[in-house]
Amino acid sequence: MDKATLLVIRFLALALLLPLPALAQRAQAELACAPTKTDFIYDCTIRLTRGGQPLSGAQITVGADMPSMPMAHNVKPVKAKPGRASGEYAASLDLEMLGEWAVKLRLAGPVKDQLVLLYDFDDKGARPVTRSGKPHRK
Amino acid sequence: MDDYTVGVLTSIGLFGFLAISAYLLLLAGEMSFGQQAFFGVGAYSGGMLTAMFGWPLPLAAIAAMALGALAALMVALPTLRLRGLYFAMATLAAAEMARIGFELVHWQVEIDGEGEREMRGPDGTQGFRGIRWVFENGVEPEAYLVIIWFMLALVVAAILALERSRLGATLRGVGEDPDLAAALGVDVTRFKLGVAAAAGALAAFGGVLYAHHNTYVEPRNFDIMLGVHSLAYALIGGLGTVFGPLLGVLVDIGLLEGSRVFQGYRMIVFGGLVALLLVFRPRGLLDERMVQWIRQRFSSSASSR
Repeated sequence: MDKATLLVIRFLALALLLPLPALAQRAQAELACAPTKTDFIYDCTIRLTRGGQPLSGAQITVGADMPSMPMAHNVKPVKAKPGRASGEYAASLDLEMLGEWAVKLRLAGPVKDQLVLLYDFDDKGARPVTRSGKPHRK
Repeated sequence: MDDYTVGVLTSIGLFGFLAISAYLLLLAGEMSFGQQAFFGVGAYSGGMLTAMFGWPLPLAAIAAMALGALAALMVALPTLRLRGLYFAMATLAAAEMARIGFELVHWQVEIDGEGEREMRGPDGTQGFRGIRWVFENGVEPEAYLVIIWFMLALVVAAILALERSRLGATLRGVGEDPDLAAALGVDVTRFKLGVAAAAGALAAFGGVLYAHHNTYVEPRNFDIMLGVHSLAYALIGGLGTVFGPLLGVLVDIGLLEGSRVFQGYRMIVFGGLVALLLVFRPRGLLDERMVQWIRQRFSSSASSR
């Protein structure tokens, strides 16, 4: 039996054995981005917390998609580097254009997760997307 | 395999379901700009079942496919009497109605977590977060990629078998000349309804897998751009075989990824390349003539051994 078939069998077995997912305390993230001298390239700082405490030691892969064309208008994922403060990470995002982006943080290390943050990028930086006068929930 | 390669291959696999969905309808002679709606139905319903009600993903996927088929039937019943561009416009309108419908869905339930409670479910334009079954069950991205491609291979095998059967010949006959097919005793309307339902179910299955890959969906994910691309896959790749739309996805994603050097202008470059491709290959890369030529080459080389 090849590896692919084994993986699928494991997946199906898992699906049947674990009908109710086990929930773990979620990580939260905030993004602060500043434009660089090069168009569409932003230096971003990610602040990662869990239970209100800074979460250090995570390996973060940062990607981004434009919600109006998922999987096509996307950004090549980059690895974030540990920042200056605890729970901070730095990454440079090379976007194709200004506008609303769904920034995807894939976390590994002390916590495995994927966070999706909606931010509006313009020539001043990035702001969380607000719709109907309410900030987008994280 | 690095994250980028896994991401690109996952996207190709997910788009593959949508492309084959549009291809099935094209074979039946109908051009739908609305398959993204059923992709969305699958994403939302599958996501709701796992994230809000704790269903296992395989069961949620089956239910989402049934809902996708039902939604496709609801669209097809009043629109299949239309022909050509009118049908295309009607499917586009239906898909936009579905997208606006997703914006109106506000249904969240409180989920107990370890040390925290969170609300999960669609929240209109704010989107639908927390479709986390894959993460919560420890399915790694590489394993999920294998699952996507395994399922896609099953679909391709089923359609290859269909194309070689009497049913497949009827499908192409209905697509090429529905009046002649009707004269030969085929119930064309019922046949096309069946194809529309199957295409809807397939798109919905892609949507379920997409939602669980992304963990987040929102109504704008399922707008006209996705519909145009799904149709373009089949038209670029060709209608001669089910591998046509898959080749279309490969070309599309390949051109998109390959034109990154053009940065912000890459969509213009991409559009130009697609236009050139369609000028020189109007029925796609793997059109009926090309497929016939490949088959003859294979059969002659096999018989000469």
